[in-house]
Order: sequence, then C-alpha cells, then structure tokens
Amino acid sequence: MKTIQFLLLSVLVILTGTIQVSAQMSGKEIMEAVYHNPTGDDVQGQLEMRLINKQGNTRVRELQRYIKTENNVEKTIMFFLNPADVRNTSFMNWSYSDGRDDDQWIYLPALKRIKRISSDSKSDYFMGSDFTYDDMGDRHPDDDKHTLVKEEVLEGQNCYVVESVSKDPSYMYSKTITWVMKDNYLGLKREFYDEDGRLLKILRIKDFKKISGYWVILHTEMHNIQKDHRTEIIFSEILINKGIPASKFTERSMTMGK
Amino acid sequence: MKKKTITWIFIGFAVLTGSQIIAQGVDISGFARNYTGFLMNDATEFSIIQNTFNLNFEQRTDKIGFKVNPVLYHYFDRDIDFRLREAYLDAYFPKLDIRIGQQQIIYGKAEGVFITDIVSPKDLSEFLLPDFDEIRMGVTAVKLNYFFGMNNLEAVWVPVFTPTRFAEPGSIWAPKLFVPPLPLLGYSSKEIKPSVENSEVFLRFSRMTSKADFELVAGYHWLDDPALHMTGVIDQTTMKPIGLDAKAEYHRMSMAGGSLSTTLGGFVIRTEAAYNHGRYFQTSDPLATDGTAKKDYLHYMIGLDYTLKGVKLSAQFIQEFIADYEEGINQEEFENTMTFLAAKDFFREKVWLELFAYAGLNKGDALIRPKISYAFADGFDLQMGANLFTGDREGRFGQYKDNSMIYWKIKYSF
Repeated sequence: MKTIQFLLLSVLVILTGTIQVSAQMSGKEIMEAVYHNPTGDDVQGQLEMRLINKQGNTRVRELQRYIKTENNVEKTIMFFLNPADVRNTSFMNWSYSDGRDDDQWIYLPALKRIKRISSDSKSDYFMGSDFTYDDMGDRHPDDDKHTLVKEEVLEGQNCYVVESVSKDPSYMYSKTITWVMKDNYLGLKREFYDEDGRLLKILRIKDFKKISGYWVILHTEMHNIQKDHRTEIIFSEILINKGIPASKFTERSMTMGK
Repeated sequence: MKKKTITWIFIGFAVLTGSQIIAQGVDISGFARNYTGFLMNDATEFSIIQNTFNLNFEQRTDKIGFKVNPVLYHYFDRDIDFRLREAYLDAYFPKLDIRIGQQQIIYGKAEGVFITDIVSPKDLSEFLLPDFDEIRMGVTAVKLNYFFGMNNLEAVWVPVFTPTRFAEPGSIWAPKLFVPPLPLLGYSSKEIKPSVENSEVFLRFSRMTSKADFELVAGYHWLDDPALHMTGVIDQTTMKPIGLDAKAEYHRMSMAGGSLSTTLGGFVIRTEAAYNHGRYFQTSDPLATDGTAKKDYLHYMIGLDYTLKGVKLSAQFIQEFIADYEEGINQEEFENTMTFLAAKDFFREKVWLELFAYAGLNKGDALIRPKISYAFADGFDLQMGANLFTGDREGRFGQYKDNSMIYWKIKYSF
C-alpha cells in the first residue's frame, strides 16, 4: 500500500513539476524573452577581443561599437581601433525585425571606399575570433525550434535549459543548448554543436550587471572545444540611452571613422 | 641633393615633433615596408628593391581635422623619392564637410579598374602592380560634402591639373611606344597651367539604402593621359613627307556616369558606367587630322561577389566601347576585360591566400597575381607572390611579358 502511495505521489510530483514548467514558459517563450530583453534605445561602448590559442598566445583587437534601434531596425556600427593594420576600418550592420536579411557594409580606409557585402556569410568568423557573424548578432527566435529541456542551477543561478534546432537544415550548427537565467533572461551559457552533432563551442558569460536600468553583458568567452581556441570579449565604457544620432549610421560616419 | 635635403628635413620633423604631436592628441600611424622582386626570366636581376616609410599624422575633433601623409620610397638604383600623398584640412559643420588640400578622391564600385574613378590621377610608374592606395595620387582640391539623411552630395574643385605619372623612359614598365609610320623629327608637350579657367570640377550624388547603394557622378576635367598629335614635315624641295612632328597634348573631357551595388541572395551585384565625351584616340588613318580621332566612348563594368565555403569570389566584366568607330584607331571598337578574385584566410586570419587576375579578352593576354600573406604578429605581415604576364605582346598585359616576377613584401604597420 505504501509502495502504491509512494508511486502515486511520485507520479503526481513529476506531473506537477511538468505542468509547472509548461505553465511557466515554453522553450520558445523563453527564447523570445531573451530576444526581447530590453537593451535600451541605444548602447555604445568599447570592445576588446582577446584571441587566445592553445599555447596561450594572445592577440588583441579593439573596437568602438554603437547600436541603435529605430523603427524596428537595429543599426550597429563598429570602428576598428587596433591592431594598426585594420585601424579606421568600419563595419555597419542593419538588422530587421521582420526577418529580412541584414544589410552590411565595410569601409576600407586604404581603398577609401564603402563596400556592400553579403550578410549571407554568417558562418564566417569575425576578425579571426571564435565568434561567427551569426554569433555576434541576435538570432531571431522564429529561426529555430525551441524545447525546454530542464531547469537547473548553474554557477548559483537558476536557469532554464533550452535546446534550439534551426529550421534551416543547412544552418552551421545542428543544435544549440542555452542556459537562460530566470531572473533576467540573459543567456549564461550556450553550447554549439557542429553539423555532425559534436560539441563545437561553449559560450560563457563571465560578468554582467545592470547599467542605467538594463542588463548588460560585460565579459564573455567563446571556447572552441575542438580546436582549443578561446576568444574573450570585454565590453567597457558603456553608455546607454545617450541619444546616439541617426547620422552615426551613415556613409559620413563610416568614412570619418568616428 | 635637393631630395636628400627634403628627406632629412622630413625625418628630422618626424623625430623632433613626434613627442609634441602625440602630446597634442595627434594620431600617428603608418608602415615600414621592404619590397623585393626578381624577374622570372632572369633570376639574377632584381625588378625592384624598394623600402617604403609611410607616415600618417591625423587629428579630428568635432569641428576640425587634418591629415598629413608623407611617404618616402628608397630604391637601390634611384634617388630617394619623397611624396606627399595627402595633406589636407577639414572643417565639419552639422550637415556639411569641407576638405581643402592634397587629397585622394575615389569614386565608383569597380575594383582594379578606373571607370568613374577619374578624380585622382594614377601613378603607373610600376604599371598596375602597387597597392591601389599607392596607385592613386592625391590632387590639390576643395571638396564639399553636404549630407542629408542617407544622401551625400559632393562637389569637387581641382584648380591644379595633375596628369598620370608614367614610368620613366628606360624603365621596364614604360608603356609600349606608338610606332609612327615616318621618323619623328620633333617632339613637344603642352602643359596645363594652373588657372581658374583650367580647373576641373566634379559632382557626385550618393545614397545608401537597404535595397541598394548608388552614385551618380559628372565631371568636366582634363584627361590625365596626353594624346599624341602628329603633323607631317614636308621636304620643301621635293614636297614629299620626310617625317613627323609630334606634340603631346592634354584635352578637356566631360564625363557622366554612375554606379550601383545591391545584394541578391548571397550575391553582391556591382555595376558602374561612364560616358566620356571628346576623347582623342591615336589613328593610322592617313586622312585623319594630326593622327588623332576625337570620339565619345562608353566604359562600363558588371561584377558579382560571392562567398563559397569561406572563399571570397569576385568576377568583373569590363567593356570599353568607342562610339562612331573608324578603322585605323589604335584601340578596338569593343575592348573587353575581365577580372577574377579568389581569397581565403586560414588560421584565424593569420594566413591569406589570394589570386587576382586581369584577362584581356581581345588579345588573349593576362596578368595573374597569386600571393600568400602571413601575419606572424599583429601589424607584421610577410607576403610572397608573383605577377605573371602572359599572352599577346600587343595586349595591355602581354606587352610586359618579359616582366613576370616573383616578390616578397615585409610590412610593419604601427
């Protein structure tokens, strides 16, 4: 009798737990909450990228980045500060919430010319780092099918664990698994699996804090497990909602390098 | 002696004022580079040994800015060559920028060819082999840019005409000489004196949108290459032609054109066209006045860029069409060229492989340029490559068939 009661109780607990998870949020809802996490109308700051190979040798790239969302278009412009051979190069991306392909341009100071480039090459690595162009941007939740796998505590944070599989079979990752903090809907960790289903990279958020009322990631690390290469990105001198003018995202700004 | 003095003044200026300039927030950048090349048909002969020291002094505030870009070229077999590529002042207003001084001005979307890109003259002293920022020379100009939204209206006034710089006579890069039917008895050239009347003007309107970027340009200018006018010299006793008197002359031209780039799926489509009015072509037609024919011509390009498995691919088709063509003109009615580019990086942008080629379709000649670059430290780049000229010696590229070379470049950017 006690055994039956225990089993019934166990089933009830499992069902209740499942119902609670389902009632809370679905995988898609969680990833939509991540995507729509308020970031302010505009953000600016300096990015330092540290490329660290398996011998521990480090190369450093520095950029100044401005982001502004206006009329459902997220505009990003980045000015390359270091190393010297890429200084004054600038890169601009317009990302559309309606799912249109991004528009991208690059200004090469040696050629003194702005060149439109295709955003189709999202699997290309950004500046030799472990981040692809796709990793650098905000992937729209509608691009993937999301499943809430479990909930667990990671690094002292209560997290949802969501598995995402692209609807596009040719996508560079077979799946990603994201640990999303329940408190603030920031991704704390993400695993990227290659086309053969093997773990390829792990993204970890090492530092984050609230600035001007918005959660901001200050330090991330992407570790390519297969090649044992890491890239750290440190975001500093952050300013939010300072009213970056629309003119920052123009031909004039790209060629001026500021 | 004069050049040496300038060089020492330059170095002295750089060293003595460097610390003060840094203290004032002036950004100093540049590079030092060694470029050594060997002719492939004679491995013992250098085609070039060049040491370059390029300095940029630059400062920008919200309202003003300036840039000075002196460059020193040192050769083992020539005097030191000091050039001031750019030296200008900027003034910035809310919607207007003004730039005055020596500056490079670049138009268009074609790569490796010059269609609407005619403001800055070319330095062809080493044909098309230097980097493109070194091929384009600065011009003394006043440039106004008026910005409204994503639009840019640009007006350029060039008071001093600067012609194309060709290779010195005797250089392996000296262009193929026109062979006159009779001996040349005299040669002269006419220079364009700086004056308001002789100045050049250009207008450009550009717009960036999510669908496409485009430029519309127009120019009233001097063609940077001179036309050779030849008149017969008659023997007064026999009244028969005994030779020719040649005069190199620059001519006024007008140009209107534009360029456009857009994306289609993973492709970037680029196109550029210019209609040029009033160019003098050399002709062998005996009835032609002074051996030239004045014609309009159309110059256009269609290009495609695509990335396939990390390999950046690009191809361009370029055509020059001479309107109202006449037999005897020393250029074909349709002159077709193609360019190809394939580039890929390895080891996180430490190693780059690149193949760029021009192919002359009329003569079946080509310039093929494979190269490999290795960035063994940030800012430090080692490059090895070849410039292979092949095909008909009558062609633009085939004429340098004996100049195929292998080279290395070691460059430190700071």
